Formats: sequence, structure tokens, C-alpha cells
Amino acid sequence: MSGLGYAFEEARGSLRRGGRSALISVGTIAIAFLTLGGFLLVSVNLQRAIDRWLQSAEVSVYLVDDADEGGREAIEEFLAAQPIVAAVEYISKDRAIERFRADFPELTDVTTSLSENPFPASLEVRLRTGAGAGEDADRLAKDLADREGVADVRYDRRWLARLQTLVTGVRVAGSIAAGVLMLGAAFTVGAVVRLSIHARRDELDIMQLVGAPFSFIRGPSVAEGLLLGGAGATLALTVLAGMYVMFGQGLGAGLAGIIGSDQLHFLGARDVLVVLAGGLAVGAAAGGLASRAIR
Amino acid sequence: MIETRALGKMYGRGLYALRDLTLKIEKGEFVFLTGPSGAGKSTLLRLLLLQERPTDGEVIVGGRNLAALSPTEVQAYRRTVGFVFQDFKLIARKTVFENVSFALRVLGQPVEQQRRRTYQVLKWVGLQHRLNAFPAELSGGEQQRVAVARALVNEPHLVLADEPTGNLDPDLSLEIMNLFRGINASGTTVLVATHDRELIKWVGRRVVQLEHGRLSGDGETAP
Repeated sequence: MSGLGYAFEEARGSLRRGGRSALISVGTIAIAFLTLGGFLLVSVNLQRAIDRWLQSAEVSVYLVDDADEGGREAIEEFLAAQPIVAAVEYISKDRAIERFRADFPELTDVTTSLSENPFPASLEVRLRTGAGAGEDADRLAKDLADREGVADVRYDRRWLARLQTLVTGVRVAGSIAAGVLMLGAAFTVGAVVRLSIHARRDELDIMQLVGAPFSFIRGPSVAEGLLLGGAGATLALTVLAGMYVMFGQGLGAGLAGIIGSDQLHFLGARDVLVVLAGGLAVGAAAGGLASRAIR
Repeated sequence: MIETRALGKMYGRGLYALRDLTLKIEKGEFVFLTGPSGAGKSTLLRLLLLQERPTDGEVIVGGRNLAALSPTEVQAYRRTVGFVFQDFKLIARKTVFENVSFALRVLGQPVEQQRRRTYQVLKWVGLQHRLNAFPAELSGGEQQRVAVARALVNEPHLVLADEPTGNLDPDLSLEIMNLFRGINASGTTVLVATHDRELIKWVGRRVVQLEHGRLSGDGETAP
């Protein structure tokens, strides 16, 4: 039998004998990877929303109140010449206040009590699909802001960029939290493997005395860590998938309205592999470090 | 085969278990290592098995200085040495067959070869009918015969035995000694540590005597 086969056979036997301590170890790894998976799930869905918003970005160009017809036409001509612009719609001051009253009927009284219309006329510029994510859109917004007759330019991408920073923050925070939990999980795996080593002390002594290669002596400990890590990561993904199936649909319907998606998405194949590989790597590393106690 | 040069092993503060031991054992010899408790017999065997490193001097086995071996070379060296201890050192959760074949298994030998060789040595020690028994189901003599079979299964050049009859009655002790004589008859060097003078007289071979960690006698004993 090969060293690999022997290592896994011994590791399975050791885990069966370990019972509760092995389960605790799998549980702690599962919690660590559930945390990582949860953060990944949130960031994946936020990222999808940001990507979608970037695909359909709009630029709002607010005009100064005393802008004449000629100035507005000049801006429209400038926009028409831009390859990233899909369409331009002029919103007059009157239409702007009508739109406000339609969107916020409870505030209609406020607007009627005003002596003059405070809403500026604007040009709503719809960008071509995908153009919102590029540098050209930034340049266009800047050029528009510098033009005569323009009071202000609002471009979605600015707050989308801030949201992107938030997503990055979520990822970093998730990675740090998962990292700390993984460290704890690795200690637990190490403790379980050390218990197994202690239980197999006589056997290991004999292995050393008969001249067994170190791969045979230490292999079962690495394999045990690998199995614990793999089981923990698999359990985490199973729980996450279960939670997604149970709550994702209902929660998704509510959140989907906010983030503008038709549904929430589960982790992609790459993220699932990352979680699984992470579990196996943490387990194997903890098992390998614990096996250094065998001398 | 074995040569020690001014060998010393110190434990703690100046407490020598072995001191200035110079000894030569030729290939194929059967040697008894004797002396009272604490004389250094077990320490010498532990140094020969590389369970410990000497404080002073050198141990040369088969022309190789054991102090110079890397951890991997230590394991390779141990594959050429069989060992038998007073407490048998059998794995309780493995059967007789598994305990013996274990020594071949961890070396990655093919299963069929493991089975054939294991059965061969167990038959030689007279335990072919107890293959599936666990150590706890065996008598002391049977357990020690399993340990002897395990020591032989790798066909070692050297067999080291530390008080192998210490837990056995006189009849069983003679049985085990007969096995060692058989091993030696096939050309294997055998070094047995014992304080049982009757047994030494009965077997009648070279006797190396230790006292307080020093060599105090070396000569032949007629059976």
C-alpha cells in the first residue's frame, strides 16, 4: 500500500476514534468558512449590482437658470458628438417640478407655496452600455462641468465608486474576520491531531524503530488535518447553500428591489473552490505543523 | 559489525550511564550484555538504535558512524536492525499478523510480499495458528514470539534485544533464547542485554559485562 493510502486509512481510523473532538474541530472550521462564505456572498451580490449600475450609468447636466436656448443647443451638439452618449433628454424647469410633485405628492404644498420654481433645467444623458465603467465617462463629466451654461454635473459613477470602496471594505473585513476565525480553527485542528498523535504514540514509536519513512510517520497527521479542513469547508458551504435556499428567495425579493437585480446569486464555482481549497489548506497546514511534534 | 570508541552517555549533572566504553562485536556474533540494573546495558542498546545520541565517543555500525547520520539516514539504518524489548511493544489494536506485517507495510512493500514474508516468520516462531489473535489474547511467551517475528521480518543484519525474557518464566525464556540462536545461526549478529546468569550459562556465548557504565568483563561462557 502506498504512503498516501496508508495515511488516509490511518487518518480515517483516527477521526472515528476521535469522535467528539473531531466534530468540534469540523464545527470550528465550518464557522470560519461560513463567515468567509457569508462575506463573499454579500460582496458577490453587491459587486453584481455595481457592475449592472455601471453598465446603465447616466449623467445629469444641470443648467444655469439664465442659460439661453443657444447655450443649451451648444451643449446638446457637444453631447451628440460624443461616441459614448446613447441619448440626451432635455428636462425643463417646469417638467422638473412636475416630476418632483409626481414622485413626492406629499410635498406638493411646499412647492406651490414657493414664489418661484427652484428646480433647474437639466439634460439627462444616457451612456452607451458599458461606457459607464470607463474613463471616457469621467472625462465627459469633467468636460461638461467646465462648459459655459452648466451649473453642476451629477454622475452616478462617483457614488458607485464609493460603493465599490464599500464592497472592497466588506471583502477585506470578511477576510480579516475569516482569517482570525481560521487561525482559531487551525489551532483546534492542531489540538485534535496532537491528541491523535498522543493516542498513537506507541504505534509511532514502533514505526520510528522499524525505520518507517517520515512520510509514513507524519502522513496520517497531515491527512487527518486535510480531512478535517475539507469536512469543515464542505459543511460551511452546505449550511450557506441551505440558508440561501431557505431565506435567499424571500430576502432576495426584498433586496432585489433595492439593488435592482431580479434575484440574489449564490457563490460562483471559483468562490466555492476557494472556500474548499482554503479548508483543505488550513487543515493540512495545521496537521503538518502538529506532526512536527513527532520526533 | 559494531564498534564503540570511548563511548559515553551522560544524563543530567555528571551522571554517566555509560563511560569510556570501547567494544568491538564482529559480524555474525552472538553476544550477551550483562550487568546489574543501572550498569548501562539498555543505554548502549538505545544508542545503537539511535533513540539517543552519545555524549562522548563514537558508535560505528557496519562501518558507518551513527552520529553522522541524517534523520532520513537514521530511518534507513533502523531498517537494517531488528529489536525486541522486555515489554514486547506490540500495538494493542492490531492482530498478530498486522503487528508483524506492519514493519513491512510502513516500508511500502507490496501486499502479497508482506503476506508471504509475515506468514513465513510467524510460522518460524510457531504462531501460524494465532494470526488473527490480538496481543491481549496471547500469553507473555507468545507476545514475545510475535515481537521476535517482527524483529526478523525485515531480514535485519543486527538484532538487539533488551531483557527479552524479563517478563517470562524459565521455560519460555529458553524458548525465546532458542529463537535467538536460530536467528544467529543464519548469520545475523545478535546482541542480547540480560541480567539472567542462568540463561547466559545455558546458551553459552560471548559475555560483555558492564558495571556503573564501564566495561568490567568480556569473555566466552561455555554452555
